[in-house]
Amino acid sequence: MAQLYERYSGIVYSVALRVLGDTGAAEDILQEIFMQLWRNPDGFDVSRGSLPGWLAVIARNRAIDSFRKRRPEVEMTDVVVGIGPDMVRGIEWNRTLDKIRGVLGSIPAPQRSALELSFFEGLTHTEIAEKTGEPLGTVKTRIRAGLLALRKAFNR
Amino acid sequence: MNGHEQFADDLALYAMGTLEGDERLRVEGHLQECPACRVELEKFRGDVALLAFSASGPRPPARSRERLLAAIAKEPRRIETRASRPMAWWRAFEWAGAVAVVVMVLLLVRQNNDLQRRVADLQSSSARQQQQLLQAKQLVGTLTSADAEHYVLVAGKSPPQPQGRAIYVPSSGTLVFLASNLPQLPPQKIYELWLIPTKGTPIPAGLFRPNPQGSAAVVKPPLPAGIEAKTFAITVEPEAGSAAPTSQPIMVGSRG
Repeated sequence: MAQLYERYSGIVYSVALRVLGDTGAAEDILQEIFMQLWRNPDGFDVSRGSLPGWLAVIARNRAIDSFRKRRPEVEMTDVVVGIGPDMVRGIEWNRTLDKIRGVLGSIPAPQRSALELSFFEGLTHTEIAEKTGEPLGTVKTRIRAGLLALRKAFNR
Repeated sequence: MNGHEQFADDLALYAMGTLEGDERLRVEGHLQECPACRVELEKFRGDVALLAFSASGPRPPARSRERLLAAIAKEPRRIETRASRPMAWWRAFEWAGAVAVVVMVLLLVRQNNDLQRRVADLQSSSARQQQQLLQAKQLVGTLTSADAEHYVLVAGKSPPQPQGRAIYVPSSGTLVFLASNLPQLPPQKIYELWLIPTKGTPIPAGLFRPNPQGSAAVVKPPLPAGIEAKTFAITVEPEAGSAAPTSQPIMVGSRG
C-alpha cells in the first residue's frame, strides 16, 4: 500500500485538488480512496484498464460528489478506464503528461474549456451551454472532439 | 460505430459521467445491444483518463501519508476479497447463506432446548402418573385380593352382622363397594349391587360373590356419570345377573 501511495497519491491528490480547489478537501479524497483500496484491494480489476487512470477518474468522481455534497453516485468498481497499463509507467510518465498538455494547449480554447467544465467541474452539456451561451449540439461536439484529439495524439 | 453516429457525441458525455435523464437511458439501452459502441465507450473512457492526468503536478503533503498509514494500522485488512463482479454476487449469496446457517443453528439450539425441557417435564409427569397408578393398583389389589383378610370391628360383644359400604362419586360415576359377613350364596345365585337413583329405576352396579369369610368388593363398575344416588341395595339374582331386581333387597343403605 505504501508503494501504491508513493506512486499514485500524486495523481489522486492533483485531480481532487483541481476539482475542489482546496488542499484539505483534496487530502480527504486522497485518504478516502486509498482507504477504500486498502479495505477492498480487488475493487480494481486489471481488466478494467490502468490503475493510475482508474484512480484519476475515481478521484474526479469523488471530488465532484464531495463538491456537490452528495453521496457517491458511481461505485469504484463501476469505473472502467480503457487505456493500456503501459502508457503511464516509469520514465514515460513525464513524456505522457507533456503530450497531454500539448494536445490541450493546441486545441481551440472553447473546445478545451468545454472539456474542462465537463470533467473538472462536472457540468452537464446543458449547464455548459447555459454558461457559455452556445448551442447544446456545439457543446456536445466540442467535448467529443477534444477527447478524440487526445486519443489521436496517443494513436489509440 | 458505423451507423451509430447519432450516439457518438452522447457516448463522449456518457464517458465523462455527465449525461443525465432520458439521454443517459437511451445510450445505456443502445450500449446493451451494440458491441461496437461498447468498444467506442471504452476508448472514450481512456481519453477521459488522459484528460484527468492533465491535472497531475501537485504532491500531497507528507502528513497525508502519515494519516493514511495511521488509519491503515488501526484497520486490519479484510481477508475476503473479490475477483470480479459476478463473484461479488456469489459472495453476497455465500454471506447470506452463512447468516442463514447461523440463524438456523441458533433456532435449532433453541428448539432443542425447548424440546429437552418438554421431555424433562413429560418424564417428570410420567413418573408421577406411574407412581399414582402403582398406588391405585395396590389399592385395588388389596381390595380385591383373594388373600385379603377382612376385619370387622364392632362395639362390645355384638355378633358380626352383614355390612356393606359404598363410596360413590356421582360426577364421574365412580363406585367402590366393600362388604363383609355376607352369607354364602345358594348354587347358581349371585349378589347384585344396585344404584337406586333419586329418579328412575334401579341401575345394575356390579355382580359379586363373597369369599369364604363373607367379604367382597366391587371396584369401579360401569356406571353412567352424573347420576344422583338415593340409596344402594343388594339383591340375590340368578348367576348371570339381572337387568332389574328380581328379589327383595337383603341390604339397603342411604348416604351416611
